[in-house]
Amino acid sequence: MAEKILTRNFHLPGSHTLALYRETGGYAGLEKAFAMKPAEITEEVKKSNLRGLGGAGFPTGVKWGFLPQGHPGPVYLVINADEGEPGTFKDRYLLERDPHALIEGMIISAYAIGAHLAFVYIRGEYVQPWRIFGRAVAEAYEAGLLGKNIRGSGFDLDVIVHRGAGAYICGEETGLISSLEGKKGWPKLKPPFPAIRGAFGAPTIVNNVETICHVPHIMNRGAAWFAGLGTKSQGGTRMYSVSGHVTRPGVYELPVSATLRSLIYEHAGGIPGGRRLKAVVPGGSSAVLLTADEIDATLDVDGLKNAGTMAGSAGVIVMDETVSIPEALMVVARFYAHESCGQCTPCRESTGWIYKMARRIVEGKGRKEDLDTILDVARRGAGTAICAFFDGAVGPYISYIEKFRHEFEALIRK
Amino acid sequence: MVRLTIDSKEIEVAEGTNIIEAARRLGIEVPHYCYHPGLSVAGQCRLCMVELGNNPRPQIGCNTQVAEGMVVRTDTPKVLEVRQSIMEFHLINHPLDCPVCDQAGECWLQIYYMKHGLYEPRMVDEKVHKPKAVPLGPHVMLDAERCILCSRCVRFCDEVTGTGELGIFDRGDRSEIGLFPGRELANPYSANVIDICPVGALTDRDFRFAVRVWYLDTAKSICPGCSRGCNIDVHYNIRRPHHNQGRRVARLKPRFNAEVNRWWICDAGRYGYRFVDDPSRLGAPARGRGDAAQEVGWEEIIPLVTAQLRRYRPDEIGVVASPKMANEDFFLLRRLVDHLGLIHVDFRVPPRTPGDEDRILIKADKNPNTRGAELIGLGPRPGGLDARGMLRAARDRRIKCLWVFHHDLQASAWPAAEVGDALRAVECFIYQGSNSNGVSAAAHYVLPSAAWVERDGTFTNFEGRVQRFWKAVEPLGLSLTDWEILGRLGAALGLGPEPASAEACFKALAASAAPFAGLSYRELRDTGKVLSA
Amino acid sequence: MNARGAVRVEFTPEQRAEVRRLQGLYPDRRAALLPVLQLAQEAFGHISLEAEEYVAGLFDLSPAHVHEVVTFYTLFFREPKGRHVISVCHNLTCHLLGAQQVLAHLKGRLGVEVGGTTPDGRVTLLGVECLCACEMAPMLQVDDRYEGNLTREKVDRILEGLA
Repeated sequence: MAEKILTRNFHLPGSHTLALYRETGGYAGLEKAFAMKPAEITEEVKKSNLRGLGGAGFPTGVKWGFLPQGHPGPVYLVINADEGEPGTFKDRYLLERDPHALIEGMIISAYAIGAHLAFVYIRGEYVQPWRIFGRAVAEAYEAGLLGKNIRGSGFDLDVIVHRGAGAYICGEETGLISSLEGKKGWPKLKPPFPAIRGAFGAPTIVNNVETICHVPHIMNRGAAWFAGLGTKSQGGTRMYSVSGHVTRPGVYELPVSATLRSLIYEHAGGIPGGRRLKAVVPGGSSAVLLTADEIDATLDVDGLKNAGTMAGSAGVIVMDETVSIPEALMVVARFYAHESCGQCTPCRESTGWIYKMARRIVEGKGRKEDLDTILDVARRGAGTAICAFFDGAVGPYISYIEKFRHEFEALIRK
Repeated sequence: MVRLTIDSKEIEVAEGTNIIEAARRLGIEVPHYCYHPGLSVAGQCRLCMVELGNNPRPQIGCNTQVAEGMVVRTDTPKVLEVRQSIMEFHLINHPLDCPVCDQAGECWLQIYYMKHGLYEPRMVDEKVHKPKAVPLGPHVMLDAERCILCSRCVRFCDEVTGTGELGIFDRGDRSEIGLFPGRELANPYSANVIDICPVGALTDRDFRFAVRVWYLDTAKSICPGCSRGCNIDVHYNIRRPHHNQGRRVARLKPRFNAEVNRWWICDAGRYGYRFVDDPSRLGAPARGRGDAAQEVGWEEIIPLVTAQLRRYRPDEIGVVASPKMANEDFFLLRRLVDHLGLIHVDFRVPPRTPGDEDRILIKADKNPNTRGAELIGLGPRPGGLDARGMLRAARDRRIKCLWVFHHDLQASAWPAAEVGDALRAVECFIYQGSNSNGVSAAAHYVLPSAAWVERDGTFTNFEGRVQRFWKAVEPLGLSLTDWEILGRLGAALGLGPEPASAEACFKALAASAAPFAGLSYRELRDTGKVLSA
Repeated sequence: MNARGAVRVEFTPEQRAEVRRLQGLYPDRRAALLPVLQLAQEAFGHISLEAEEYVAGLFDLSPAHVHEVVTFYTLFFREPKGRHVISVCHNLTCHLLGAQQVLAHLKGRLGVEVGGTTPDGRVTLLGVECLCACEMAPMLQVDDRYEGNLTREKVDRILEGLA
C-alpha cells in the first residue's frame, strides 16, 4: 500500500486542529523553508514535478517562475478553493480535515513568491469547510504562524478568507480573480496572465488547495523524493474523488502512476451488484469519457492525455451498464448551460443550444441531424472562447456521442 | 514604430496599435462587434480572430498589439471558418426581426452574415426570449432579444459618461442588457449607444419606423447646437418623400473628429434638427405686421428693405446679428454694416436660462459661431450701443430701424415687456431668420433664411476651429441663405455684384480678415483647422 | 422593522462597522462587495432592489453594477426565501443515484415545485448543480449542512427537523 501523505490524518479526531497537526509533524516544512531563499524554494518545487491539481495540470514551479523579478508593488497568492468540477470533492476534505496543511503550504508558497497577502476563495456552498478553515486560520494567527514576523523569520503574511456566491466559473483562475475583485465572475482576457497582471492589477499566483497542500511535504522530504513517487513528468501522489456506481465512493490518495482500473476495482471496490462497467469520467465532467476498455491508462497528467482525455480535477465518476449515456449528456449539458458566464458569444450561445438538443433527444424528439450538429458546433466553438470553460464542455459533448453514438441513434429512431 | 506583415503586405505602425487598427490602415477589414476604438477592449464577440505566425489557434485581433516582425493572416481557410462559426453563434438566438427592425440596411449582423456567414441555418429549437420594445429613456429603445451582448453600451456609460446606467444581468444565454429596475437612461449623451450598437437592440425612438436607411442620403455638417461644433452627418430622405411624414432631415449622426467630438454627440445636438422641417419655417418673404402681413417675392422685398436702410441715419439703425450665422454670412454683413457706417451692431443676446456645460462636449454657449462673430467683428462700434441698449433706444425711438437675425428676443433674459415695448415702438422692424418665433410676427419685413443643412458654410468653434458644413437639402420654399440675402441687399446698396457661392464669400473673408488669412475650403478638409492667434 | 412589518433596509451601527472593516481589508474596497451582500442577505433575509441600491451607495457603485453581481450568482436570493433552503443536487453522480426521486419526494412532501417556497414560509426547494459531495450521492444541502446517502426515510427525518 502506497504511503498516505495528504490524507494521513483524515481519520484522526481533531485532525483539523493546530495541536494535532503539530503533533503529527506539521509546520516542520515551514521551518525548513524559512532557512532557504525564496528562489530556492521555487527551484525545489520545479524539480519536484508538482503539477496543478485543480484541473489544468500546469507545472507549479514553472507557474511561480512567471512572476516578474524585482516587481516594485505587491504580489498576491490566491488559493482556489472554489471546488466545483462535478465528481470532485477532495478539496472539501482537505479544508475540513486538514486545514493547517493548506495554511502551512500557503505560508511557504507566499514566502517563495514574495506575497504578503494571500486570499483563500472558498465556494459559497461550502459553509462547514469555511467555518472549520476560518477557525484554523484564527488558531494560526494566535500561534504567530500568520501575521507579522512569522516564527521570527521576518516574513509577514496575512490571509483573507473570501466566500464565493455560487458560480462554477469562479473556479477558473481569472473568473475567480474577477469575483474576488467584487465583480461578476467573468474570466479575463489572457494575455496578460495572472502572474503578470492578476488580482487588483498585481502579479498573482492562483493555485488549487491540494496543490499547495503538497508544498510542506516537498520542503520536508525533498523534491527528489516527491518526484520519485510519480512518473517522469509528474511527481507525488494525488487525491482521487471516486463516485457513481462503485461500492466504496470516497477520496483515495494514490501515486499518480496508478491506473484507473486499480482505482476503480482495487480501491473503490468495483461496481456493486456485479454489473458491468460502461464508461468512466476520469477527471471531472469536463474530461473526455473513457469506455470500459480504456481504463488501463495511468492517472497522471500525461498518462490520461495520451489516453485522449485529461487528469483534470481527478474526479472519477463510474457509470455501469444501466446508465443511459444520452441522459448523462443531457445532465452534463444542462450543467454547462447553467454555468456559462455568458461573457463571450461562442460559449454563451452554444451551451444553451446544445443542452436544448441533448434534452430533445432524450425526450424522444431528436432529429437525425442533431448528433452531427452537436459535434460540429462543439468542434467549431472549441478554442474560440475567452477561457477553457467551453473546451471543458466540448469534452463530454463530443466523447459521449462519438463513443456511444448507437445509444443516441436508438433514441432518435424511436 | 513597429513593422509587421498582414496578408503579405508590410506596414509600419505605432507601438501599441492593435491588429484591427493596423489592418484597417492597409484597407483590410477585420470584422468585429465588441471592439470600439473609443472604448476599452472587451474581447467578447470573438469575431476578430486572425492567424498569428505559427500559432495553430487563431487569436483575437482587438487585444493583440503589433510586434516587430509579426506575421498576421486574415484570409486563411481557418480564419474564414472561425468567422463563419462565430457568425452562426451570434445568430442562434437572434430573432428574425429584420422586416420590422430599424437597423436593417446598416446592421452588422446582416452585413457580416452576407460577407462571412452564408451557411445553412440549423437551429430549430425555441430561441431564448427576452423583453422587446423597452424604452430605456427618452431617446433609446431596447430590444433585448436582438442584443448580441457586445457590451459596447455598458462600456460607453461607464467610461465616457461615467454614469453607469447599463449592465449585463444574469448569466449564460439568459444574459440580458438592462437598466437597474425603475431607473432611466437619461444622461445627456444617452443616444450615442444607438450609434455604437452594431445591431437593432438599441434604436432611436425619434427615428423609429421613420424611413428605411437605404433611402437616406448623407451630407457632412457641423452641429449648430453649441460652440463645440461637433462634426455630424446629416441623413436626409428625398427619395421617399411620403415616408417620415414628409420630413426631409431624418436624423443626425456624429461624425468622427479626433480633435473635436471624437465619436460622440450630445442628445440636444443630435435632435436639434427638428426646426428644419417644422411648420414654423418661414417659406417666403413677407411685409406688413399682424393682419396686414402678406407674402411677397424677393424682387419686391429687396428694394423695400434697401429703401428702409437708406432712409434712416446710420445712428438710427440697430443690427442684432446672431451667433448662429455662418462666417460667410458675417463677412457679408460686416461689409454691409461698414458700407452704411452703422455703429449699433451686436450679436450677443443672453438666453433666459443660462446654458449648461460639462467636461465632455457640452458648452454653455448654445451657438455655433460666437467666435466667428467676434473675430469677424460684429460687435458695437465706437459710440455704438450693444443689443440691450438698442432695445431701449428702439423703445425710446432713438433707434428707428431694428434688424434682428434669428433671435427670439422674447425667449431671452430680457423682460418680455421691454422687448414687446421696443418692437411695438420701432418704426421699422426687419426680421431675418429661418423660423417664425415670438418676435417675427411683429416684423414689418420678414426675410426667410435657409437653414444650415440647406447650404454650405463654415462655423468657428469656441477654440477657433473653422469647420465646414455641406448642403444636404434645398432651401425650403423661397428661403435663401443669409449671405445670399445680404449679397442681394449689398448689390442694391451699391456694394457690387453678389457673391456667386459660399466659397466665394469665404475666399473674400480669408483675403480680408487677418485671423482667416490663408484659409480656404480645401485647407479645411473634413475636420477643420484652428485659427492661429 | 418599518411600518409594513418588513425588515428595514439599513445596516445597524455594528453592521456598518463590519462593512467598513471589510472595505478596508482588501487592496480595493470593491472586493468587499460579495461579503457585504452576504451580510445584507443575512440581515434583511433576501436582497431586494432596495437593498441593492443601499449597498451600491456604500460602495459608490451604480446600482446597475450591483444588480449585475446579484443576478449573476446563485446564492443571492432576490425574493424572500423560506426559513430553510433545501438545495438538491441534480448533477451527474446524484442524477445517476436517484436525485430525480429525491426531488419528486420533496415536491410531494412540501407541495411545491422546484424553485418554490411553501406557503407557510418554512422551506424553499431548489435544484442545484454539483455541490461536490458526490461520494454521498444522492445528496442535498439544507441550510448550512450537507446531507447525503439519501433515502425517503432520511429525507423525511431531515424535514421533521426543520422548524
